[in-house]
Amino acid sequence: MSTGWLIGSAAIAVIVAPLIGGLLRGIDRKLTAHMQGRIGPPIIQPFYDVIKLLGKKPMVAGGAQLVFAYAFLALIVTAVVFFALRQDLLVVLFILFFGSLCLPIGALSVKSPYSQLGGHRELLQFLAYEPILLLAAIPIALKTGGFPIANIFEYGQPLFPNLWITFIALLIVLAIVMRKSPFDISGSEHAHQELVRGVLTEYSGPYLALIEIGHWYEMVLLLSILGLFWVVGSLWWLSIIIALGSWFIMLIVDNVTTRLTWSWMLKFAWGAGITLVALNILFINLGWM
Amino acid sequence: MIDSLLGLSIFFPIIAGFICLGIKNHKARGSIVLLTAVVLIISSILYLRQGSFPIEHSPGPAGDWIILVLSYVILAYFLFVAIKDFAQRGISRHNVLTIALTLAAGIPLAIFEFSQAPHTPLEVAPTLYIDHLSVIMCLIVSIIGSLIAVYAIRYMKDHEEHRVHLGELKETTQPRFFFFMLIFLGAMNGLVFANNLIWLAFFWEVTTLACYALIRHDETPIAITNAFRALWMCLIGSVGFSLAIIFLWNSPLNTISLAAVIESGAPVLLLPIALLCLAGLTKAAQVPFQSWLLGAMVAPTPVSALLHSSTMVNAGVYLVLRLAPAFQGTHLSTLIAIYGGAVFLITAILAISQSEGKKVLAYSTIGNLGLIILCAGINTSLAIAVGIMLLIFHAISKGLLFLCAGAIEHHIWSRDIEDMEGIATKLPVLTGITIAAMFSMLVAPFGILITKWGAMEAATGIGVWSTLVLVLLMLGSGATTVFWAKWIGRFLCRSPVPGRVKREPLIPLYHGILLILVGCAVVFSILIAPVYNGVIAPSLTEAGYNAASAFTTSAWFLKSSIGIFAAWPIFIIIALALLIPSLATRAKSEESRAAYMCGENVEIGTDEFVAVADERTELKTGGFYIENMLGEGNLNRFVVPIGIVLLVILFVLVVI
Repeated sequence: MSTGWLIGSAAIAVIVAPLIGGLLRGIDRKLTAHMQGRIGPPIIQPFYDVIKLLGKKPMVAGGAQLVFAYAFLALIVTAVVFFALRQDLLVVLFILFFGSLCLPIGALSVKSPYSQLGGHRELLQFLAYEPILLLAAIPIALKTGGFPIANIFEYGQPLFPNLWITFIALLIVLAIVMRKSPFDISGSEHAHQELVRGVLTEYSGPYLALIEIGHWYEMVLLLSILGLFWVVGSLWWLSIIIALGSWFIMLIVDNVTTRLTWSWMLKFAWGAGITLVALNILFINLGWM
Repeated sequence: MIDSLLGLSIFFPIIAGFICLGIKNHKARGSIVLLTAVVLIISSILYLRQGSFPIEHSPGPAGDWIILVLSYVILAYFLFVAIKDFAQRGISRHNVLTIALTLAAGIPLAIFEFSQAPHTPLEVAPTLYIDHLSVIMCLIVSIIGSLIAVYAIRYMKDHEEHRVHLGELKETTQPRFFFFMLIFLGAMNGLVFANNLIWLAFFWEVTTLACYALIRHDETPIAITNAFRALWMCLIGSVGFSLAIIFLWNSPLNTISLAAVIESGAPVLLLPIALLCLAGLTKAAQVPFQSWLLGAMVAPTPVSALLHSSTMVNAGVYLVLRLAPAFQGTHLSTLIAIYGGAVFLITAILAISQSEGKKVLAYSTIGNLGLIILCAGINTSLAIAVGIMLLIFHAISKGLLFLCAGAIEHHIWSRDIEDMEGIATKLPVLTGITIAAMFSMLVAPFGILITKWGAMEAATGIGVWSTLVLVLLMLGSGATTVFWAKWIGRFLCRSPVPGRVKREPLIPLYHGILLILVGCAVVFSILIAPVYNGVIAPSLTEAGYNAASAFTTSAWFLKSSIGIFAAWPIFIIIALALLIPSLATRAKSEESRAAYMCGENVEIGTDEFVAVADERTELKTGGFYIENMLGEGNLNRFVVPIGIVLLVILFVLVVI
């Protein structure tokens, strides 16, 4: 792959990712509304929302909050760029984590009970999914001979047949990162729990818009990582099906489950998620997969 | 040239220490400390210009005699203090164990040295051995250790004034304090260059002595108890040393030269090597010996900074890293990797529940040392390179963090994280530096994260057992993030304040030293590739590893065989992502709003809300510690047995 082509694809990713992300959010709201017997907003409502938010008067409830809102977006975009440049997967994840960490730190920098509660719970969510996501990079590297994402494209075969166990664990991660039930611990979209929009309580106007756009990038990046599981070969289009299919499963799960406690989430994520990936690594190390 | 350099590194601080002992004047003593710092820093840098390594040096039999006599003098002193404590405070676990372990370390060695050995004192050529790894250690000790000593000049003044104010202290004890500080630095330099195991054991004991004396410095009952705990736990290591020396002399190898032991690599020597590793683990405060380092918190903060970053605990991991080639490819190596991973995870989880700042830092130290031990256990070229890098970066960042904690303590007179709520408004510069230091422990692209990345890559695909190591590593890494982020959150937590935040008055010996260390953390992270080529790759080659299979560098990117870390582009991008918003965006005061309190706020600028019966109630927030699940009381029941069981398994397997 030539350098020029890679840089081009990174530029395209930066422009297209939020469009896809926003659109998916719109479809999400529409489908959820239908499942709940409502009509729901138009599909491009998220874009209307963000544009409106950007035009609002800025309000700040704590100094550092605003720095971390910018940093959240900037770092996640950086992670997307490094992903598009097919860099080392672990490095992409580390940059993504730094970005994701800005959200709770921003929330914790306001002396507000709701924001504090949300921020701390966001950290617990982070504790639940970060190890799974990092560990999931290992079987990929073991199969493709290295951590650079470029290796996956050079590998020549789809990863899914050997790594479906890891893939299941990544669905748990996706649910936590999308803050969907039963993992909407830090801030629920619906009144599923006592803390609605906890971690975002103190963000408003343009700063909330920045975070919303950041979330779009974050979701698209995670779906792309899921897509990596079937990205080569004659059936490469399956990667899109896999990514969108996973996303759709999250919607269903969100609507049929209720929120559970953070300690349950942590036990489930570390228990089920880590065990699954560890088994996958073990099977590869033993030569069974 | 090398004689004088060794003299400056080892003896100059010791002599300066004795001079400090006799100086009552604060300024004069400060000048001596400053002079020692300058001498140490310059001489440590001059080692790099010494041409071809390794350099061998033997001072002659007189030196051997002095070391021999002094090492028994120190053991006798340990006996003396333990018996004195027994007489003053009655029988306790600590003084009994100190007496027992001193005898266990001293008697077998004395019998061996004076009756079994063919001649007394035993000499080996060379006595001192200087290669890149020991020079790296010397640089860490001399630069970071000296900066800490300079910081202590101001810190101890404030510390004593505060204690006089509280009525705890009548006469200054600073001469004794700086005596032990400087001796500590000299002994560490001796330790890293020693090749004769008897010399190594001697310097090992001197660091134990200095550590004991410094922990005990404030002479409170708790300080004395904790000093004894540190003493007897480190004496376990001395017992290991004595036994290892006897075993090695009686083995087919018939030597007490560290270099010869490492080169031989014969599996028959596994038991003495395991004993030396045990000594390293006690000094590095690995589980189940972690309690001595946690107890060492009672000492003045520069002592903690010194113990945690540049001296004491580093000696432990240095020895394990140094010995790594000798146990490469054995079960011992595998077990050490798993053990290190377990320590990393356990301490990261324990740190979440701590509300005392220095304890969080202590657990983080033990965890990072566990990570170095893990790297030594994985024992590939890549892993050892990562271990050495972590040694360097951890020393910088942890020294910095302890000094920050000390400076903050001297402003708020508390070590509790909850008392640090919102201090970003009162001490903006200090808080900024502290947060930068925490980020340097936590996020890409700083050195410590690069080493985490390296450790993960090193642990990938090296055997079935690596699955377990990887799981421990990832879980520990997640837990690490939580306790740092939580703490940063407490610093920043505040209500909007009208007007600009005013900068606190800058104190040169606090802020200056802190800024130098922040600079080091940033510059070394950006320059990681040249640093690797300059000192780490040669030390790998000298230890018999293949430096080319660890990392290759091009355009200052770091490449392993299975990954790539574009160090400086990532640094620039992330710096831009953080700095532009933090410099360019300032919330205007008319944008400030009070936090959401269901519309019941009293007014902006106050932390009050209207509660039941229209009463004005103060808003209070606090951090998560999850004590009921992750508290020490709950987890230590399992943690200590796990540590002991792992060590027992390790030794059983070695003996089999």
